[in-house]
Amino acid sequence: MSEKDLSYELIPSTCAYCGTGCGVLLEVMDGRLSGVLPQKDHPVSKGALCLKGWSSHEFVYSPRRLDKPMIRKDGVPVECEWEEALKVVAEGLQKARNEHGPDAVGFFTSARCTNEENYLLQKFARAVIGTNNVDHCARL
Amino acid sequence: MSGLEQIIREKLANGSDAFLCLKNQAGVSVPVLITSPDSEDIEVAELGEVRYPLGKILIALQKEHPDTRLAVVVRGCDERAFIELSKLEQLDLDKLVMIGVACTPEEAEACGCAKPYPEDVTLGEKVENPRGLETIERLESMSDSERMQWWKEEFSRCIKCYGCRNICPMCFCKDCSLENPHLVEPGVIPPEFPSFHIIRALDMAGRCIDCGLCEESCPAEIPLRSLYRKMQEIMADKLDYRAGESRDEKSPLSFLGEEAEIKNLE
Amino acid sequence: MEGMSVSEEVRILAFLCNWCSYAGADLAGVSRLQYPANVLDVRVMCTGTISTYFVVKAFQEGMDGVLIAGCHIGDCHYLKGNYMTAKRFQVLRDALKFLGLEEGRLRLEWVSAAEGEKYAEVIRSFSDEVQALGPSPLRKKDKTA
Repeated sequence: MSEKDLSYELIPSTCAYCGTGCGVLLEVMDGRLSGVLPQKDHPVSKGALCLKGWSSHEFVYSPRRLDKPMIRKDGVPVECEWEEALKVVAEGLQKARNEHGPDAVGFFTSARCTNEENYLLQKFARAVIGTNNVDHCARL
Repeated sequence: MSGLEQIIREKLANGSDAFLCLKNQAGVSVPVLITSPDSEDIEVAELGEVRYPLGKILIALQKEHPDTRLAVVVRGCDERAFIELSKLEQLDLDKLVMIGVACTPEEAEACGCAKPYPEDVTLGEKVENPRGLETIERLESMSDSERMQWWKEEFSRCIKCYGCRNICPMCFCKDCSLENPHLVEPGVIPPEFPSFHIIRALDMAGRCIDCGLCEESCPAEIPLRSLYRKMQEIMADKLDYRAGESRDEKSPLSFLGEEAEIKNLE
Repeated sequence: MEGMSVSEEVRILAFLCNWCSYAGADLAGVSRLQYPANVLDVRVMCTGTISTYFVVKAFQEGMDGVLIAGCHIGDCHYLKGNYMTAKRFQVLRDALKFLGLEEGRLRLEWVSAAEGEKYAEVIRSFSDEVQALGPSPLRKKDKTA
């Protein structure tokens, strides 16, 4: 076999499951994410991971993972384009706020997003919609 | 050119398709597979102070690419793991070139490893080191109930991350007993004493090569190594078997054996 | 025996091999030999089939003692099945001991189909031994009924 077929890389990254920020090494074999190892001398996690960190690669190729937005039409989720999806969301938010006031809307952010994305979402909640209803999935 | 760099170039020029070792990546040691003599990684390859389960990486590589000839830098524990894995038919040692590295006296002492060097040492100096048995000796001086209390307290910190199993170079089963709901009740944290830990310990009998990666990667700092080291002691005392030592002799728990061997027991 | 009433009985699980020890137990019964009734029998085809997990599971489910009884070495119906039992047993007993379970709670005996008297004697002595140790520290509080 030729050498080119064989490739194995470990990509240092940060576990995105919660706010701790443990060091992970993503194993990529032949261009496909195949596993996770803890980063041994990481200043935060010192070579340890929790169950979530150890399995943080498993969702990537899951057949149940949504890779396109879906809109429920007549009770059935149907794949659609981003433009259409965002339009539905925007209209829904506007409708809720106009009919029931800003506090009828809540915002739930995620540890899997970056700081900047989370900042943007709370800014959107407070400045655009006008509510303090902001919460976070890692606030367990 | 450092000793390691020279070895990598030499191996890649003489029949090895790829070279597995550690490299320095922005101040951090991570495993790297070097597949080309032109690779920039050769210059940052290092022995490093940290250890990774190289056996696991090799099993995955050999499974996908069974014909690849791999060269790999091994410490004493890595070599023991590879030998045991080959007897369990997980690794093909014929397609593996091992470059031995002896641990430094400081590393050996901190680790408590009884054989901190592989059979053939290419880099570093062999040092002898006593096996770290202090915890086991202290536990054995306790009464049964004191000892159980001690373990219960230690295991009560377990968050069931499965890190000990995931990092273990000797764990390769697809279906793990630790995930069997009849043996370990799902969703219970900490896992019930002692099923989770005794099942792992029993599976380590005749397999554990005392690398200590389990204890290193335990977020709850449970002294797992003492438990598995005790399993090694039991295997040596009762069944006269030391995992990773011989390339031919298989674990007595993996075959039925002969009557004469049984008669000597008890 | 702290915290237990004198009348509280310990429970013992006995794994008996189909070809020797189960027949031995049968013979003890047919011969009307007296032995304690706090033993639950599990008939297995060979003691070699008894995974160490089974014993762990028995203790986890609230058994106070576990007996494994099979054919004498050399008499195994499957020729070598009990060799594995002999090897596994020693590892298991020492491992459980290291975690703090008294070694008297686990016993391995060879009982042939002709040894009804031996079977009754084994059960009597093992039952006494476990009774002296009291209920297992691994017994779950809610499963003692």
